[in-house]
Amino acid sequence: MQRLALLAFVALAAAPVQAQFNLRNLNIDKLMDTAKNVAKATTEIGEQEEIGIGRDLSARLLGAAPLMTNDGVQRYVNQVGRWLASQTERPDLPWQFGVLEAPQLNAFATPGGNVFVTRGLLERMKSEAELAGVLAHEISHVLRKHHLKAIQKGAQTALAGEALQQALANRGGANANREKLISLGSEVLTRGLDKGDELEADRLGVAIAARGGYDAYGLPAVLQTLQAMNPQDSGLALMFKTHPAPAERLDALEKLQGLLDAYATQPQLAERFAATARARR
Amino acid sequence: MRTLASLSVAALLLVPALCLGEPATVIRATELKQSPATDAASAGQLAENARVDALERQGGWTRVKAAGGAQGWVRMLALRYDGGGAARPGDSGIAQALNVARTGTSGTQVTTGVRGLDAEQITNAKPNTAELKKLERFSASKDAAAAFAERGHLHAQQVSYP
Repeated sequence: MQRLALLAFVALAAAPVQAQFNLRNLNIDKLMDTAKNVAKATTEIGEQEEIGIGRDLSARLLGAAPLMTNDGVQRYVNQVGRWLASQTERPDLPWQFGVLEAPQLNAFATPGGNVFVTRGLLERMKSEAELAGVLAHEISHVLRKHHLKAIQKGAQTALAGEALQQALANRGGANANREKLISLGSEVLTRGLDKGDELEADRLGVAIAARGGYDAYGLPAVLQTLQAMNPQDSGLALMFKTHPAPAERLDALEKLQGLLDAYATQPQLAERFAATARARR
Repeated sequence: MRTLASLSVAALLLVPALCLGEPATVIRATELKQSPATDAASAGQLAENARVDALERQGGWTRVKAAGGAQGWVRMLALRYDGGGAARPGDSGIAQALNVARTGTSGTQVTTGVRGLDAEQITNAKPNTAELKKLERFSASKDAAAAFAERGHLHAQQVSYP
């Protein structure tokens, strides 16, 4: 590090006076940008920035698996998701929902209102209420900024040193920092959130599905489906790595039996779910 | 061919979910109910860890067949499944329907070219901005979502977070 700084200094000293001046200005600007970025990593990230991070992270996720090519299913999932999001304290985020073309079973949220479910998980569902349960769980991650906070936490340690190094190497500091920030997001998606965040998203998810008028047992039903599968199934690897075991999540949800029962007779909409899956578009 | 595929999908959808029964265990001593309600008449007793076959779900209740042949309803959350891979895609007919939807009239499952979505793929992924644009195209407005909910007879409720 010290050697790098020294090299940069020597390079600056060797440059013609005018260029040296400009370079120096440039470096000071970049250093100040970096300082701002580092400061931001420790302070509140605004809503627009949150949305921007989420969009960039979603683009990465879509780079790993594109959207399933069925417009009808994509629109359907957006309607279910947007209706649920409308029942929450952040109804006006630019919510977007997507089904990823992947056989694995999983669901993802990125900051600012992007929610994804894989085709593999959708195929195991039996009703719209089950889909609603899963989407509501992911919506809860966005509401409580679980991923954003995890990214911020990572940025505090990982980005400061990196950002400084980039500034000294006189590269496009802001873009490289950006790249790093989004990579931190990918890391959160593959490493998983804290167990407490997942269990909180289950609790909130059940409540949000009930708010939307759905049978509140949709999410528990999906968890039971997962639990009935062979845990060695390769399609479950990432989901099981990043989430508490389904049995543990079901145990935690048993404490909410009062809430669940109060909204157990609301519609499941199994027929509408099946009809949408059948439609070829 | 198209008719055949539709017919087979229709047939699958007529099969009730879990109709074959999924092996499960009750996690505590439980009363078997004649109908899915707390105040329903008893249909027998199940000991802790009793083996059952789960047949169907209705709200918070699951209809089960006990090892002795007795049938009735137990609390859905009192059941834990065996995790032996019993639930395969197609149980509900949805997977088959999606397969048909994906592959046109052939009804065959196309798995070639699917890269999948594991940790490695996510870590190494390059941003796909074209797909991000596409995602935006499918988004629903609040009003459209409300109309959709109304068509499904969904009624918004006031529910506090637990």
